[in-house]
Amino acid sequence: MSANGNGTAEAVKDTIYRSCLLLDEEKWGEWLDLCDDGFKYSIKAWSPEINYDMTYFSADHNHLTTMTEQLPKHNTDHSPLKRHSTVYAVDVDKDGKTATAITSLVVYQNMLDGENSHLDSGENHLFLVGKYLDKLKIENGKAKFLEREVRIETRRLDKGSHWPI
Amino acid sequence: MPARNHKQWMADPNLPQGEWVDSRIYSDPEIYEEELEKIFKKTWIPVCHESELSEPYDFRTTTIAHEPIVITRGPDNTVRAFLNVCPHRGMMIERRPSGSFLEGQPSGNPKRMTCMFHAWQFDMKGNCVYISREKEGYQDRICKEDTGLRRLRCEVAMGGFVWVCLDDKPESSLEEWAGKPFECIRESIDAEPLEVFHYHKAIINTNYKLWHDTNSEFYHDFMHYHNRVTGFNDEYFARKNIGFEHGHVNVTSFEVNYDEYEGFESREELSFPKFPPNQWFMIDLFPGMNFNLRGSALRCDIMTPLGPNKVMIEFRGLGVKSDSAKDRQTRIDHHNSIWGPFGRNLHEDLIGVTGQGATMKNSTEPRRILHGRHEDNYIHDEIGLRHYYDEWGKWMNRLPSDPMQEYKAPAVAAE
Repeated sequence: MSANGNGTAEAVKDTIYRSCLLLDEEKWGEWLDLCDDGFKYSIKAWSPEINYDMTYFSADHNHLTTMTEQLPKHNTDHSPLKRHSTVYAVDVDKDGKTATAITSLVVYQNMLDGENSHLDSGENHLFLVGKYLDKLKIENGKAKFLEREVRIETRRLDKGSHWPI
Repeated sequence: MPARNHKQWMADPNLPQGEWVDSRIYSDPEIYEEELEKIFKKTWIPVCHESELSEPYDFRTTTIAHEPIVITRGPDNTVRAFLNVCPHRGMMIERRPSGSFLEGQPSGNPKRMTCMFHAWQFDMKGNCVYISREKEGYQDRICKEDTGLRRLRCEVAMGGFVWVCLDDKPESSLEEWAGKPFECIRESIDAEPLEVFHYHKAIINTNYKLWHDTNSEFYHDFMHYHNRVTGFNDEYFARKNIGFEHGHVNVTSFEVNYDEYEGFESREELSFPKFPPNQWFMIDLFPGMNFNLRGSALRCDIMTPLGPNKVMIEFRGLGVKSDSAKDRQTRIDHHNSIWGPFGRNLHEDLIGVTGQGATMKNSTEPRRILHGRHEDNYIHDEIGLRHYYDEWGKWMNRLPSDPMQEYKAPAVAAE
């Protein structure tokens, strides 16, 4: 990879890691600012139980904007989700205008409500594991999300899942 | 009334018997084990859908009332159920959730169910076809003919679901058990083969009946922002709960106004075969399954009780097997927006029943749980719950409002 390619890969990693920080802080609007207007988002999982590649959620930028603005109107578990991510691979296209990235992802639930907050608050539970499969565009040395597929391994999902991952 | 002292708090509510239950029915370990024996081992349970084992030699594993079960599709295309237990030393024969017996296994041959422990092998009809060193060990005292698997009553019906009954002589045939409540959607779900496109599970600390309660009343729609903005019109409230024999309940349909919900569009474009657009029927089956046909997607909840205060709920979404890729994606999107694990409603339901489970653990004080709303059987009437618990009392021979007493019918029978 050229020195320029290395710089692009760093820009991609920077955008991915910033997205994790913003999602952890539930700053949905600022997360969407990292995404192109044509952004496509999905959460998918392969189910060996039914032998089917499932889509658990899919949305475009407009849908995500509406959905995240409505989140305060929904009842929800108050335990925040916190991400641990490691960018495993970045591949920059030959023209340097787009890149793809694979990021290993672990999401923890930092219990606030739990079942009984007196007992459970402050504890962490593993919520899901998976990968971010991202496609980004590169402009002026900055990377912006075009597509994100959250490919999860977890198929047991209890309460606490109203939010984008 | 101001906040109550302990005596007032523990007093029976000013409602007739049958309109409230004692929370020990949700928490008592003895009652829970008795439910497995008296109800779950005696009734028809839908365990999966036939599309999950679509090819000959495909299998699926499941559990009813602690008993591990394997479902197979034979080379004759017949779906059969067996206890997933080797008759030799009690090893679980198949450990995966699904797969194909066409593949050979380290201990056994293709087209066989093989117990990996000592390589006993069984065909798709449950016949024992191989005992390793049979003559050397058993001489003529035990042979393959004596050691078939335990077969279980199994039928594929009501939209292609696989139903199993652990009792060789169930009180009712499957048709007698579930046929009538399914009549409202039978023509649609039996019009052509269906396929499961969604599966996930939740394991939560609450009693299985509390999830069924939530599925059996719409009074909790105040919890759902989505329902409030899509549904609250005269038609929404004009639906009725209809009770059926065996404790089952239907909720009648209305036309949902999806385009009134910000971020949603009309869903008229796609429905189920022979099903008017945007209609929504719900079937609640005793003792704990739910079927929802809502517009373009069918949802099914199957509960596996894991303890007095623990239940696994398996959520499935189904479409029509012949769907085009575009129609399938539309069904998936419609399903997920409300019922998916990242959708609008399901998560709130899970919070609700987990909160109930947290206050009704074993050894907490018995609580009086009210089922006394009367609104002419319309959707905020709790008739569905009263109907269910009257049936529960008969199967258990326990009085839901005082479960240490024998069952007696309410003075005014549940409508």
